[in-house]
Amino acid sequence: MSFDQNAFLIIITAAMIAISCGLLGVFMMLRKMSMTGDAISHAVLPGIVIGFFVSGSQRGLEVIIGAGILGILATLMIDWLRRKARVQLDASIGITFTLLFAIGIILINLLAYKVDLDQECVLYGEIAYLPIDLWLTKSGLNMGPRILYLSLLNLILVTAFIILFFKELKVTSFDENFSKVIGIPAGLINLSLMSMVSYTTVSSFEAVGAILVVALLVVPPATAFLWTRKLKLLIQLTIVLGIGISIVGYYLAYLFDSSIAGMIVSVAGIAFLASALFKSKSFLSRFGTSRQPESLKKIV
Amino acid sequence: MEDFLYFFTFQDPSIVFVVIGIILLGVGSAYVGTYSFLDKKALLGDAISHAILPGICLGFMLAGEKNPLFIVSGAFISGALATFLSSWLNKNTRLSEDAIIASILSIFFGFGIVLLTIIQKSGNPEMAGLNQFIFGNAIAIQESDLYIYGGLAVFIILCLTIFQKEFSLLVFNPDYGRAIGFPMGMIRVIFNILMILSVVIGIQAIGVVLMAALLITPGAAARFWTDRLGVLVILAGVFSAVSGVLGTYISFVIPQMPTGPWVVVFLSILALISFLFAPKKGVLSRYISRRIYLKKTHRDHLLKLLYKGIEADKSGLPIEEIYEAFPFQKKQSEQSIKNLAKDNFITQNQSFIELSISGKSEAKRIVRLHRLWELYLNEYMNIAPDHVHDTAEKLEHILTPEMEELLESRLNFPKLDPHQENIPRDHDEL
Amino acid sequence: MITQVKSPILEIHDLTVSYDQSPVLWNVDLSLPSGKLIGILGPNGAGKSTLIKAIMGLVDPSGGYVKLFDKTLEEVRSRISYVPQRESVDWNFPASVLDVVMMGTYGKLGLFKRPGKKEKELSMESLEKVGMHGFANRQISELSGGQQQRVFIARSLAQNADLYLMDEPFAGVDMATETAIFELLQEMTAAGKTVIVVHHDIYSAVNYFDWFIMLNLHLVASGPKETVMTEDLLRKTYGGKLNLLTKVSDLIRQKEFNPLKN
Ligand SMILES: Nc1ncnc2c1ncn2[C@@H]1O[C@H](COP(=O)(O)OP(=O)(O)O)[C@@H](O)[C@H]1O
Ligand SMILES: [Mg+2]
Repeated sequence: MSFDQNAFLIIITAAMIAISCGLLGVFMMLRKMSMTGDAISHAVLPGIVIGFFVSGSQRGLEVIIGAGILGILATLMIDWLRRKARVQLDASIGITFTLLFAIGIILINLLAYKVDLDQECVLYGEIAYLPIDLWLTKSGLNMGPRILYLSLLNLILVTAFIILFFKELKVTSFDENFSKVIGIPAGLINLSLMSMVSYTTVSSFEAVGAILVVALLVVPPATAFLWTRKLKLLIQLTIVLGIGISIVGYYLAYLFDSSIAGMIVSVAGIAFLASALFKSKSFLSRFGTSRQPESLKKIV
Repeated sequence: MEDFLYFFTFQDPSIVFVVIGIILLGVGSAYVGTYSFLDKKALLGDAISHAILPGICLGFMLAGEKNPLFIVSGAFISGALATFLSSWLNKNTRLSEDAIIASILSIFFGFGIVLLTIIQKSGNPEMAGLNQFIFGNAIAIQESDLYIYGGLAVFIILCLTIFQKEFSLLVFNPDYGRAIGFPMGMIRVIFNILMILSVVIGIQAIGVVLMAALLITPGAAARFWTDRLGVLVILAGVFSAVSGVLGTYISFVIPQMPTGPWVVVFLSILALISFLFAPKKGVLSRYISRRIYLKKTHRDHLLKLLYKGIEADKSGLPIEEIYEAFPFQKKQSEQSIKNLAKDNFITQNQSFIELSISGKSEAKRIVRLHRLWELYLNEYMNIAPDHVHDTAEKLEHILTPEMEELLESRLNFPKLDPHQENIPRDHDEL
Repeated sequence: MITQVKSPILEIHDLTVSYDQSPVLWNVDLSLPSGKLIGILGPNGAGKSTLIKAIMGLVDPSGGYVKLFDKTLEEVRSRISYVPQRESVDWNFPASVLDVVMMGTYGKLGLFKRPGKKEKELSMESLEKVGMHGFANRQISELSGGQQQRVFIARSLAQNADLYLMDEPFAGVDMATETAIFELLQEMTAAGKTVIVVHHDIYSAVNYFDWFIMLNLHLVASGPKETVMTEDLLRKTYGGKLNLLTKVSDLIRQKEFNPLKN
């Protein structure tokens, strides 16, 4: 076990991705839209493939635009199925993401020779290759790992989004009707959040895989939610967890010689399940001093 | 074409196995999925299918090869663990169901990926077979697999058929079931077991990521065609089987092409067709019946116009006056006049239009319904006479003869509406 | 028994609302005077919440319109305040009492601006009015039902509006608090504000309100207390739904589309 520059780069990148996902995930969870987040991160796949195809070997803006369009398309399709075709919400989500993901996989196979992308990469990414995937400027200057920059940019944009719209995100998540009544464009805020989720999925999928993005979107916020009832603390805890699981996950993956992204998620999973056990109602009533809020809840 | 004939004439016994296998497991999953769709728990199936991955890998690791028995058992155990954890978390934490399902799904899948990469790096030559579980490869179904997967599918189908009453109670009215003494907790457990089993056997063909489609889409599509549970599950089974065979065919023709995505695409196409074109509930048929209805309302309004002409002592109206009465709707007015003439409700003499005998009777009916409803709004709902017109204008087209009778008796066969206009009866002279 | 008023603060014209395809409000047509404490009465499922939501533009009517201060909703949004039913939100949301009350000030703040000292003071004042200032930093998930209700009222007070619409603000509130809040509402109406309250208890309602709206899928009555608090009208309000109306609703539901929609 060693701590070298590569380990540092990988951990930093993983942590940045985990933080971006966690920040958005907190609000997705509070809106009870975690599964929609899951659906979106599956659904952007065709956009990614087409973006790769269009942009050739130069992975550029096309990929992000493609995925962004697909993310919004998925949101609209879920909405269309629900409103126009009158399919219930959970089924609308299921139908939408499976179809779009399936199309993505088919495209990958059809364009296998033209697109530098394979099923495995989509599933679990390869953050381990990060240090050798470098960003070279036109003059040949080595700027360091490409994905590091992508994640940094993503983190900056996500953070800016959350800070700028904190008030709106908070009120629309808590009480959507009230926010509409006081004139906040709740639909627009929702669509922006979904767009940020799709953008984050694309930006991160090369490193951790499209599906494991979901885990980072969902698990750290859910774990933090078990520990606190304050929004600010919930966000801070999510960030700390994101950093923590990146460090522990990296070294465990190193130890077992396995997928780093998968291990990060597994560590998050253990943290989640342990927190759930420790904070569960049955555990508290058996071992802990039954805390006041729990007992209050029963009176209400 | 050659491929097509070769595949669909079933000369090759291995193709027969594959097709039987995919039909059985497709029908089994669709069957279970329809119930969970009705139960509004469609996404639990998604969680279970992702959650099976670590079990498959552990089964593989223990057996050292792709042994169906080990894999099915491993998959079943991890699916059961995921289901148990979700319901435990639901009871014992304040997390929402949505967050719980998403967490379980991604945690198990993440752990599965860890195991998968460990196996990959161990250099086991059978690894390639394992990758198929992610996106599915129906072609790889062999005779020995068929006995296990097919047998389980038949078991699931039989169970659901025999206990149809119990499971529909579970879905539609569990409280009532409990009240009349059914062990609903037990039935839920059995249903969950069937659900896990169906996911376990579906994985081979569809893969973990897309398995949810096989559970959700057939039921959602079939729901558009029927309201009856029996027909619903059969239709879902048919959709699923057809898509399964087509998907298998594609991955037979194009090597390297996984089956799962194609099955999902065919399923989604069937679903889209259902959403759009199913009679009654489909988007298109709703649109068409609305168009037909709007045509009818226009026709009714035209009849009323002529009737009011008679009330004002005009035996008929010149066609220009009719066009003017419906500004910007000349096309529709022409169409309505044509239709009314065809039905012998009006007679057209040059450009002068008069109601025929049957036309008068129909016009009276519409005016009667309109004025009866106005009176009802005024008398029973206290709505001022100058505000009752708009709603009556909409309801006059849909009130049935039975409703008419009820209104008449409730209002005591009134003579005048709130605007002191005569409510015409069939025997009234005009 | 529907009393219309001149220059009303709220005018509802022939409003019909349906969910999917079932009409739940038929032809509501009324106008309300300003500066009054107005009670909405009606049995469960009568459409009281729906009426309020339609006024607030949260559900699209299938017919009719609403005018506030003789203007459309968009033009006067900031002058109207809304208290939803307590069950409409998840109280496990991680927020403090003060956080929630401050949301009342967001409408006037506009995009990007963050609430500052002024907003905080306003929120604390509102909390004080409902007797909850001691709980400002408490998390909302730790409150009792009655306390949550008072937080919602404080949030609407922080909006500083002219017209208040409150959906069952007294549900789950103890008698002492109910009286206190009611006195507060009376002070507000005395100061020229108009308060419309959905209320579930006829007996206390008689003492509280100046004007009543009685609903049961359709408008049974709207008018000053003296004219509408009659046994006949109460029986019409609470004595079961109109048989014919239910039948027509069934008829409409069986159609493939909503024929009431324009
Ligand atoms: N979102 C909705 N979708 C479908 N039906 C609804 C919805 N909200 C309310 N309803 C129905 O509309 C009717 C009136 O509801 P509501 O206005 O909440 O009544 P009240 O507040 O008077 O108890 C009820 O029958 C209710 O079931
Ligand atoms: Mg209500």
